[in-house]
Amino acid sequence: MPSLFVIQGRDQGTRFQLDGATVTLGRGTSNAVQLHDTEVSREHAEFRKRGQAFVIRDLDSSNGTFVNGRQIKEQELASGDQLQLGRTLLLFTGVTEGRVEDLADKINIVTHQEEEDGSRIVHSMHQSEGSEILSMPPDNETSSPWLARARSNLQIMYRTALAVSHTLDIDQLLARIMEMIFEWVDADRGCIMLKEMETGVLVPKVRRHRSGLHSEERITISQTILDYVVDRNEGVLTSNARDDDRFDAAKSILRMGIREAICVPMQGRYDVVGVIYIDTSLTPQRMLQQGSVNKFNQEHLKLMIAIAHQAALAIEDTTYYKQMVQAERLAAIGQTIASLSHHIKNILQGVRGGSYLIEMGIKDHAKAIAADKVDVGSAEKAVSIMRKGWGIVEKNQERISTLVMDMLTFSKEREPVPEASNLNELVSDIVELMKARASEENVELIWLPAPTMPMLMFDPEAMHRAVLNIITNAIDACHDHNGGRVEVSTQHSQAEKMARVAIVDNGSGIEPDDLDKIFAVFVSRKGGRGTGLGLPVSQKILEEHNGRIRVESTMGEGSRFTMEFPAISPQPSSSGTMPAVRGSTNIEAVPADSSHG
Amino acid sequence: MNIAPSVLIVDASRERREVLRFLLERRGAKTLEAARPEDAIRLAREEHPDLIVFDAESDDSGSGDPSNDLREIADGNHTPIVILGKVRQLRNHFSAEQIVAKPYHYGPLIRKINSLLAAA
Repeated sequence: MPSLFVIQGRDQGTRFQLDGATVTLGRGTSNAVQLHDTEVSREHAEFRKRGQAFVIRDLDSSNGTFVNGRQIKEQELASGDQLQLGRTLLLFTGVTEGRVEDLADKINIVTHQEEEDGSRIVHSMHQSEGSEILSMPPDNETSSPWLARARSNLQIMYRTALAVSHTLDIDQLLARIMEMIFEWVDADRGCIMLKEMETGVLVPKVRRHRSGLHSEERITISQTILDYVVDRNEGVLTSNARDDDRFDAAKSILRMGIREAICVPMQGRYDVVGVIYIDTSLTPQRMLQQGSVNKFNQEHLKLMIAIAHQAALAIEDTTYYKQMVQAERLAAIGQTIASLSHHIKNILQGVRGGSYLIEMGIKDHAKAIAADKVDVGSAEKAVSIMRKGWGIVEKNQERISTLVMDMLTFSKEREPVPEASNLNELVSDIVELMKARASEENVELIWLPAPTMPMLMFDPEAMHRAVLNIITNAIDACHDHNGGRVEVSTQHSQAEKMARVAIVDNGSGIEPDDLDKIFAVFVSRKGGRGTGLGLPVSQKILEEHNGRIRVESTMGEGSRFTMEFPAISPQPSSSGTMPAVRGSTNIEAVPADSSHG
Repeated sequence: MNIAPSVLIVDASRERREVLRFLLERRGAKTLEAARPEDAIRLAREEHPDLIVFDAESDDSGSGDPSNDLREIADGNHTPIVILGKVRQLRNHFSAEQIVAKPYHYGPLIRKINSLLAAA
């Protein structure tokens, strides 16, 4: 979204998002962009969206609207434009434009041998000297011009710092820096190159030509100079004006003009991240006009070094931030894969065990047939081995299905599909389903349904999974305990408008330190049996129903999990009750407002 | 061999213990079972099994690695030990013959157990 950032004025530091087709700006409270500036009119200007672009229009304000220092009536804005209204200075940031141009074609880096330009270094300055831009002036220059320049430089640096600190988009940031440089330095062409992390090769990212110059023109940069800048971490000012004895300087200059360039390293906190290059040409005519052959001086070089440093810091921040996010993501994916592989491996082991038993049964049977010794006893024995194996295979098939369902539930951003359902029936089904598992673990499973349970709106499929996971956990908690007991009860509170499912076990209990970790994904205290997905999935489902899971636990005594969610009664006309009458032949005759239950 | 050899099965999964018990009993071995390494260490000391089969991956709840404790007892008793899983972590402490990667196939595992029991 396009935005305005107040660089100067009473609202300094405020960012306004330009949301909507028309956004008004002024001192009055009715404006979306309200500026506390007495020199801004009540209704000063408005922004209008025109296609992809944003246009600012002055609403006959008393003090006028200025874009990049020029008074305007109406003007299309570009990213990086500065608006002056009264005493307030604002920075406009548009939406990121897709950059289609392939810069590699537009900028040449020439090696030493093929340097046609013949530029050489006139001045070089260590990166650290860039900070001297604000240092004391030389003794002979204590008068006000220096002070004015220093102040203006300070402002440039301040604005650079502001500009770079408000974006995480590197391309946009570089474009803005280039634009600012062009505002302050009288350059003809410029480009910013960034070092590629893997290869260390400098890749052009942004280029700019002063308007009026043909933009198709290629920028030629000497590899020698780039190497010098990067390797020695020094900014350089080059000129191809030759004061070398071997050439007739005057003649050469008059024929070709002079090309001056500044190339500075972008030194960040840790490394040189790239270079900024600008250059300018002086035609013979202009040289004569201004009576000098130099356009760039050391002051420019200092300023450029300081700007490049600011930009580099911002780029490093952005890159490291992105890398950190990426690294975290990779670590999380790695953990997920490791955890899932472990469970799948165990399930596979179970399947292998089961199928090996089946294979044994088949072999035994085949052997008996071959030896012509098939009797009821041997056949029964073979079948019982196969049955045992088959039971194990089936159990593991159930496990993989649970794992997949939990993964799906956990990964999907899904909205629950509420249907009028009966919580007692739902839980009763689950208890029935879990009876076999409970008796296998010698755990008594007790079902205490609420005496009255109205039809409620919830997603029965999701709730089934949520309750099933908690009951499974409760049974597992009683594993290896004598007299293991799991009590499942439901409750409907008319007064609180809440429905609850409570699952109480007398198992091992949860360590107090672990209580806040149990809902974390892939954290399981069940050794090889838990996937670490059950509780997070249940919690997610309850949260989707605007409910929650409460846990109370005492070590050695057991735990109580209470799942509660708002009890919403089905509306008689809602679609939730439709399945009750669907299939009825006289469905047309049922009045929409009649109550079915 | 006159008396039936005894094998200690250490695995947190009852299902896997059951499969292995069935297969070992089929070939005439007696089995001892332990779900937890602590119980296994006790059983190994008291019962002197002829072989220990230990699933090193099934129990990750305890602190430290119990496989070394178990091996010390096994070494003291001159009992062969077969470790299931954790190939990479245990490679330096056990010989390649002692470790079987998971998921394993039962056929080769049983053959390995047979040959170790025959050698003992």
